[in-house]
Amino acid sequence: MFDFQLINGLAGLLIVTSLLVILSRGPANSARFYALQSFILVLTFLALAKETGSRELYLWSASAFVTKVILVPAIMYRAFSKLDDPRLGSGETMSPAVSVILAAGVVILCFWVVSGVALPAAEAIKPALAVSLAHFFLGLACIVTQRNILKQVFGYCLMENGSHLTLALLAAKAPELVEVGIATDAIFAVAIMAMLGTRIFLTFHSLDARKLTTLKG
Amino acid sequence: MVFSNLPLLILFGPLLAALAILLVPSRGFGLRLIELIHTVSIAAVAVLALAIASDVVDGAHLTAFDDWFAVDALGAIFVSVIGVVGFLTGLYSLSYIRHELRDGELDPAKVKSYYGFFSLFLFTMVLATIANNIVLMWVAIEATTLGSAFLVGCYGRKSSLEAAWKYVIICTVGVAFGLYGTVLAYANASDVLGNADSAILWTTLAAHATALDPMLAKLSFVFVLIGFGTKAGLFPMSAWLPDAHSEAPSPVSALLSGVLLKCALLVVIRYYAITVRAVGPEFPQMIVLILGTLSILVAAPLFFVQKDLKRKLAYSSIEHVGLIAVGLGVGGPLGVAAALLHAINHSLAKALMFCGSGNVLMKFHTRDLDRVKGLMRVAPVSGVLLLFGCLALAGLPPFNVFVSEFMVFTAGMKAGYLWLMLLCALFFTITVAGFIQIVAGSVLGKAADATPEGDVGVAALAPMGILLVLVIVTGVTIPGPILRLVGDATAIVTGDSTPVAFAMPWATQAAPAEVALAGPQLHTETKR
Amino acid sequence: MMTSVSDSMTMTLALATIVLPFGGAALIACAPGKASKWLCQIFALATVASILGVVAGFVEAGRAGATQDLIRIGRTEILGLTVDALSVLIAVAVIVIGFLVAVYSASYLTMGNREHPAVGRPRYYAFLLVFIGAMSGLVFSSTITGQLFFFEITGGCSWALIGYYETPKVLRSAAKALLITHVASIGLYVAAALLFLDTGTFAIAAIADLSDGSKVVVILSLLFAAWGKSAQVPLHMWLPDAMEAPTPISAYLHAASMVKVGVYIFARALLSAGAVPHVVGWVGATMAIVTLVYGFLLYLPQVDMKRLLAYSTITQLSYIFLGLSLSVFGSHLAFQGAVAHIFNHAFAKTLFFLVAGALSYTTGTRMLPSLRGIVTKNPLLGIAFVVAALAIAGVPPFNGFFSKFAIFSGGFAVAQENLLLLPMLVIALLESIGCFAWFLKWIGYSIPGKPSDAVASAQPLPMGMQVVLVALMVATLCSSFIAASWLG
Repeated sequence: MFDFQLINGLAGLLIVTSLLVILSRGPANSARFYALQSFILVLTFLALAKETGSRELYLWSASAFVTKVILVPAIMYRAFSKLDDPRLGSGETMSPAVSVILAAGVVILCFWVVSGVALPAAEAIKPALAVSLAHFFLGLACIVTQRNILKQVFGYCLMENGSHLTLALLAAKAPELVEVGIATDAIFAVAIMAMLGTRIFLTFHSLDARKLTTLKG
Repeated sequence: MVFSNLPLLILFGPLLAALAILLVPSRGFGLRLIELIHTVSIAAVAVLALAIASDVVDGAHLTAFDDWFAVDALGAIFVSVIGVVGFLTGLYSLSYIRHELRDGELDPAKVKSYYGFFSLFLFTMVLATIANNIVLMWVAIEATTLGSAFLVGCYGRKSSLEAAWKYVIICTVGVAFGLYGTVLAYANASDVLGNADSAILWTTLAAHATALDPMLAKLSFVFVLIGFGTKAGLFPMSAWLPDAHSEAPSPVSALLSGVLLKCALLVVIRYYAITVRAVGPEFPQMIVLILGTLSILVAAPLFFVQKDLKRKLAYSSIEHVGLIAVGLGVGGPLGVAAALLHAINHSLAKALMFCGSGNVLMKFHTRDLDRVKGLMRVAPVSGVLLLFGCLALAGLPPFNVFVSEFMVFTAGMKAGYLWLMLLCALFFTITVAGFIQIVAGSVLGKAADATPEGDVGVAALAPMGILLVLVIVTGVTIPGPILRLVGDATAIVTGDSTPVAFAMPWATQAAPAEVALAGPQLHTETKR
Repeated sequence: MMTSVSDSMTMTLALATIVLPFGGAALIACAPGKASKWLCQIFALATVASILGVVAGFVEAGRAGATQDLIRIGRTEILGLTVDALSVLIAVAVIVIGFLVAVYSASYLTMGNREHPAVGRPRYYAFLLVFIGAMSGLVFSSTITGQLFFFEITGGCSWALIGYYETPKVLRSAAKALLITHVASIGLYVAAALLFLDTGTFAIAAIADLSDGSKVVVILSLLFAAWGKSAQVPLHMWLPDAMEAPTPISAYLHAASMVKVGVYIFARALLSAGAVPHVVGWVGATMAIVTLVYGFLLYLPQVDMKRLLAYSTITQLSYIFLGLSLSVFGSHLAFQGAVAHIFNHAFAKTLFFLVAGALSYTTGTRMLPSLRGIVTKNPLLGIAFVVAALAIAGVPPFNGFFSKFAIFSGGFAVAQENLLLLPMLVIALLESIGCFAWFLKWIGYSIPGKPSDAVASAQPLPMGMQVVLVALMVATLCSSFIAASWLG
């Protein structure tokens, strides 16, 4: 039972780190926090693996460590540290206080939704499950409210982490190949977005999503 | 179930071609070689797709790689659409891209990556249609975005970069919802079945759908619908679509609208099938119907007011995807069959029109309908093709869109949605008006004196001609194999395994044979 | 059912009346531009020959109606042909007039034309042929899907033909015609779908098997579609604007064919439906009278000859709707009168439009106030004008009289039991008189006397157009006898 508490606790930490990712100034900083968050995610996986005895989950933790803690943040750090649009600040359209309150609201809502699920596997880890769902929506909120297009990429990463956690929580024994598929896709997605973002910065000399308004109607 | 190499061949053919193209240098003779590889790749996909389809028509259920890949009648429909439309738009690309190269819109390096990503894009779409593993399905749809993002932003202009960015962001976010839905469905199944390996297969999910937890099944369907519905272009998640379709090179627009949207729809349809079995038809039908209707109601007026030819066509795509969703939403064998048929028909007609918009661009160098005048005068063959394309998409006979629109309409009335159908029909009248506007304003009329006379080359016109023939043939008679595939696919979707539940509106088992018998008389009418 | 050799021959010929024009159009699309007007006439003539073959075969087979499937899936008819007295009669009118218009167009679309000096392009002739083919297809269709199919094709062609001159104004009118009739086609969609859902087939004959409630809905949906094509209130507005079309097209589309699509599908439905609840008759008759009055009031201010004819067409079609609606109350005579009126009015109004076309060809205007003393300058044209006007007004011995008479006498017979019909018939009679007076006024103004400037400077009329006018004048005299003897 203790370990499930550990899992739930780690999941709670995920929310905190994602707020850090969203609110920090500059994409390079966000990349650091994202690496931190992914590390916590890997720890969660390990805890889960120990608890459920799932061999697959150990493998997952390893591959997630390689892709999410090292590769993706590295790509982003390298690509983004050259690009900076100081006029944007953190790029948030909402004040940090409002963001935090909103995040809290999302988490509460997700707890409520998850309470309706009746799967036996989900019993002990409902808080973590709720967190994973909330994490997903926090990522979405980040994309919607951000003006900085690079920060929007982090939003996607958060969403992806959220679904990843849900998968691990609900289906710990999923084949390793599935995990690899998801992780590879995420890397490609981030790489392509980073590339596009760079080209946009070089063409528009700005990272402001509001400047992208040629196409309308 | 038959093990077959065909799915693997059609999958890895274009992938290898893409890699080969990326290895060839883009200087001098290299470009010709790239074009050759490209042609071989698209031809191979077309031939293999039709081979797969013909096997499936004969009743086979092809599988490969531990059932991770499977082609049933439902998949075969979409594989053939990829094969045929991919081949024709690929052929069209040859002359279109050469033209862009001559005009200096693209440089050799970009041409090289265009062809490379074209094959890669085909690979990802084939993957999406033959995947039986639901996570792989998600991976494939996500990969289609990544594969086509470059194609959308190909020109590197400000507007195309913007379009590509919106495309990538909205679609990856949307598809992230799809991932969540997939995860929920998988978790649900693996918990219920207690077998983590087979729970990931769509066939297993569909077979044991009744055992699933209803709450999770519903939640999963909502996520999937939002996620893959984004990619399919359903309102309100369709914000990316007009931008991406209008900024991409025309053959790519044809591929996006004709094929990509349908691949995403296929995934939606697969989950629809699971959900219908798990929680009954009411819930999935209702939300699909709402989204479909909204798409039509919103897209039709927006379609009408656009001044940009390709944006117009993009909105028309949203509208037609909406109609397909309405077909699914009214449900029943008739509605599902109508939706599937409309998916096929719309692919052909829309590919024709987007290629036509490519001709317009080659002649006039603008998509602004106020400045495109008298296409018929300066380029008569393009003019005629565009004219018929417009009439076809407007839903007039003897073109195929008319047939399936009528079927959706009939299905809706059968399900008791008389007023809804009347509403949709009225909004489709706006579409007719819009297309007539295109023809009246831009195809006909007097061209500006500066526009040089002369049509685009035969190489660009031939694929369009073939598309037009297909649009007319499928409009005058539904060929037996298509009828068979649609019928079988409908049975797969609705979960009716009884043999009598053959899905055509005029439901009997012997239908294909009789069509073949009655067909020739009508053929004389079209072929003369 | 036994099918003899001559039966299948008749069916093949009937199919040929649909296929030949489409084939000719395809040929025109491929052939060089100069050949198009000849190809058009040749194929139109071949179609006339086929329909005459159908007539002969039909009479020989003892005038028994027959239906044959062309496409059928399972037990569901999708497309088929019905050859019976009604379809053959109307097909004769649309095909023969189609041929005459093709001949007339070859002379009209030349550089000699004072109103629109331009040589006819292949597109014109191709769409004209397609229109003829689509009309025979519609007339011979045995299913609602077939009707819908050809209904929409005529819509598309009418758009192409009305918009032929391609000025913005014309294109707007053309789009209007297409859109309004397309909205009307929703009625056909509904009817087809309902019929299929209730009976499992699209065959028109299956309307008879419907319950009363569904029958009313199906027929009223068809009636809605019919109003659109036949330019009845509230879907009438496209017709006067469509007068921007080349005049031979107006003659064909707005006198003989397109506007007759509506009344024909209504007639076909009533004929197949067996006993029809009276509510259909009430709706049809009421709207017919409303349209009649509306159309008549709008005649009065018109000075453009073609717009006058357009409103006159609207009212004449109301008579046909009135006749058909009266037949719902049990009057066989009214039905026959209405069908005969479809036939008669086609010839008379085509003649009138072609006279208008001849006037604008020779004088460069079709404004009635500047056309005076026509008979002095060009006797043939003057006489044709008078014949057409009197036929439309329903003066014996011209054809319009006989069919209107049948409608009225049938109507008064059933009005004995439905007294409310009486005032309607009286209004219609008053309109007839008003129409007569009004045309008499224009005859008196335009025909006799000293030619006005425009008429005095008129050029001679080409032979092709003269022949067509004479042929139509003869038809105007005989058609009602043909129709009467044909319908028995």
